[in-house]
Amino acid sequence: MSISGLVIHTLPDKTHAVRDAIAVMAGVEVHATTEDGRLVVTVDQPDAKKATDALVALNGLDGVLNAALVYNFFEQDAGEKEDPQ
Amino acid sequence: MSVTRRDFIKTNAALAAATAAGVTLPGIDKAAEADDGIRWDKGVCRFCGTGCGVMVGVKDGRVVATQGDPDAPVNKGLNCIKGYFLSKIMYGKDRVTTPLLRMTDGKFDKNGEFTPITWDQAFDIMAEKWKAAIDPEDPKGATRVGMFGSGQWTIWEGYAAAKFMKAGLRSNNIDPNARHCMASAVGAFMRAFGIDEPMGCYDDLEHADAFVLWGANMAEMHPILWSRLTDTRLTKPGCEVHVLSTFENRNFELADNPIVFEPQSDLAILNFIANYIIQTKAYDEDFITKHVNFNKATTDIGYGLRPDHPLEKKAKNPGKGKFHKIGFDEYAKLVSEYTLEKASKMSGVEPEKLLRLAKVYADPNKKVASYWTMGFNQHVRGVWVNGLLYNVHLLMGKIAEPGNSPFSLTGQPSACGTAREVGTFAHRLPADLVVKVKAHRAAAEKIWNIPPGVIPPKPGYHAVLQHRMLKDGKLNAYWVQCTNNMQAAPNMNEEGYPGYRNPANFIVVSDPYPTGTAVSADLILPTAMWMEKEGAYGNAERRTQFWRQQVDPPGEAKSDFWQVIEFSKRFKVEDVWPADVIAKSGHAGKTLYEVLFANGQVDKYPLTELQEGFNNTESKDLGFYVQKGLYEEYRRFQYEGPKKGHEMAEFEVYHQTRGLRWPVMGGKETLWRYREGYDPHVKAGQGVRFYGKKDGRANIIFAPYEPPAESPDAEYDLWLSTGRILEHWHSGSMTMRVPELYRAFPHAVLYMNPLDAKERGLRRGQAVKVQTRRGEVETRIETRGRNKLPRGMVFFPWFDVNQLVNKLTLDATDPLSKETDFKKCACRVVAA
Repeated sequence: MSISGLVIHTLPDKTHAVRDAIAVMAGVEVHATTEDGRLVVTVDQPDAKKATDALVALNGLDGVLNAALVYNFFEQDAGEKEDPQ
Repeated sequence: MSVTRRDFIKTNAALAAATAAGVTLPGIDKAAEADDGIRWDKGVCRFCGTGCGVMVGVKDGRVVATQGDPDAPVNKGLNCIKGYFLSKIMYGKDRVTTPLLRMTDGKFDKNGEFTPITWDQAFDIMAEKWKAAIDPEDPKGATRVGMFGSGQWTIWEGYAAAKFMKAGLRSNNIDPNARHCMASAVGAFMRAFGIDEPMGCYDDLEHADAFVLWGANMAEMHPILWSRLTDTRLTKPGCEVHVLSTFENRNFELADNPIVFEPQSDLAILNFIANYIIQTKAYDEDFITKHVNFNKATTDIGYGLRPDHPLEKKAKNPGKGKFHKIGFDEYAKLVSEYTLEKASKMSGVEPEKLLRLAKVYADPNKKVASYWTMGFNQHVRGVWVNGLLYNVHLLMGKIAEPGNSPFSLTGQPSACGTAREVGTFAHRLPADLVVKVKAHRAAAEKIWNIPPGVIPPKPGYHAVLQHRMLKDGKLNAYWVQCTNNMQAAPNMNEEGYPGYRNPANFIVVSDPYPTGTAVSADLILPTAMWMEKEGAYGNAERRTQFWRQQVDPPGEAKSDFWQVIEFSKRFKVEDVWPADVIAKSGHAGKTLYEVLFANGQVDKYPLTELQEGFNNTESKDLGFYVQKGLYEEYRRFQYEGPKKGHEMAEFEVYHQTRGLRWPVMGGKETLWRYREGYDPHVKAGQGVRFYGKKDGRANIIFAPYEPPAESPDAEYDLWLSTGRILEHWHSGSMTMRVPELYRAFPHAVLYMNPLDAKERGLRRGQAVKVQTRRGEVETRIETRGRNKLPRGMVFFPWFDVNQLVNKLTLDATDPLSKETDFKKCACRVVAA
């Protein structure tokens, strides 16, 4: 289980587009939007791999200037492999 | 996993993010306090020079979690993707946990297999090799031994190593990896201001009206500072961002004035801006009359290559840094050559964009913060180009006040606090003193209680020269700590690797992991890292930050300074100092340990001063609070040395605060230096005083455009630039071991313009060979993604140990700073 809290900076004219793009991503929720185009987001994924994929996807969305991580909780489930190399 | 707990954690995550964003979430006031058995304590991020505060969570002797420290003024609770996975960097599966020596049949053999040995055996063979390379009566000191250190050393690690080398072994052959990173910035600071490091601070990120990035990919390399800049840009009316780079990177998404320029033409652009300011009479006449001297640099200074290289032979003044005083009129005439038309032609940038940039600087009502990192520093005219930017800020008086800030960013967590401040460079001593000035050596010898004449007056071998000297067999006993220099240093094929493997040399590498550097050595020492020791870093805004040891190191791993201090026990002064010096010293018969560390200063503080509840491995081994002793001795340089302006607070203060920016006087930190009202060293009525210079004036130094060492030609037809990416830090020795980061960006790729690829019959994703005059490396082509390359240029990141970019690079340096230009050499790309 991997749960993260993020602050995502968006270009002001693309904030809504980014929100829409996030809305269709599984396990990703927008909790608040500030007037200056920042989104408060959580990413809830079953494992570290899916969490990474989601973070990379968020960073790469058109209109995202910066995705800063604020909080992470990570718990390795039985049978999950950690070694990449 | 119960649904309730999952919801609870998610609520905490959302709350933490909302708090960092400064918003409240309706319906949720405060997360319930959970007793999860985690001990939280403050720490500092292990990666870049931003110096973000992190809270470190420990459970059962292991770091299990980290989060952005909401009380840290630098990052206010935020972390970047690397900081987020910090808790995992110590737990790679291949940690080195015992000393490993290359052996065959139980004996050292340079071509043998790495075999576990004890610390005693490791120090035995090191002492044998070091003593064989040292002649105590050599008037030049110990030139055959050397050390390569790090801007990732903690403050006391760098201090202990520099003292051991310079005051103990009588060798100035110690240099940090910061030579590859910050040396050009240092050179320019010293020439212009006489004191190292920026005058401003991160608060300028909120005060400025305009930002200019000169070769700094802040979005990927300093994401937290970038988020502060982004905040200002999006919330302050009229705020604008100018981004200059040799290719389009992620910063361009926020750029109001995006500028892609021809490599090296930044020299021409900056001189054009100075010319524009003078032509339009926008300069601050009062400021330049009172606070500035005008000078011109010696030109045609070569490229820091080996002296027999044709380019060095051709240069009129190779390595000459002298500059000459001139008047304003002569300066104005020198820059007048750099017209808009000429700058536009040389840089390939549309005139309107250059004009817009010049106008921002020339507008007296716009506060401008300029940022740069490796684009300026890794530059064969790095000292010059740093200086040309200071020229622009000084002409306008836009300096040393909130928002007006030329600011050199750093890439390592303690490039400033350690590498630059405690004297780990081959030419330096603590607190900005230098070995070649007799009064500076005398001050150091007095504080260290060693006899006059121990510290050699001649600067030692700098980073690039160390590899050349290893290859030439003139540097024979060599110790590398806390850096992966085989992968990081230029021209590995022709200099670094042959140097390490030269049978005349014995190479020791201290590292937590079997890096490319470690496995190229003869002896690997297992090192305690980050939270496995009590440490301190100093970031780019002069902020000194401490942390306590949170966990114990694995196996036999010991911190770098424990290793240095223990090794010093293996030497008697008779092994290293001339007889006549010993006779004057009162130290006859003593070990270097007794002279340098058990000297009544470093061993002054008892173990009873350690914080209860935290281990301190080194202090408990040595029997005294060694971090405090080293730090308090170092602090004497700040108060008793010949240069003011580096004052820091007492040791305990930093364990209580989230860092302080020096100079710290009367317990108060300094945000902007050189300006009355902010800097305690500037007296009432002085207004501005650049007190690093005797006359209190900063230097504007004219320097012209001079070409790079190697440019594309018919045979090697593309520019090759190397650098970093968001997910990995430097050589990847830590981040590539974090599964999530590895997965996010597992292999380096070659970023290329799609038309350049097409012209060569290559497709995106295709395997190719990148070739230069030094070697070739295989990789795959990327024509899309975060970096968009102009025609004629490729970018190849260097984090991947399986794609060693430094087999390709040229070891041309700025001849003044000796820092390599990793951004410009010529290559070609062919199908693999």
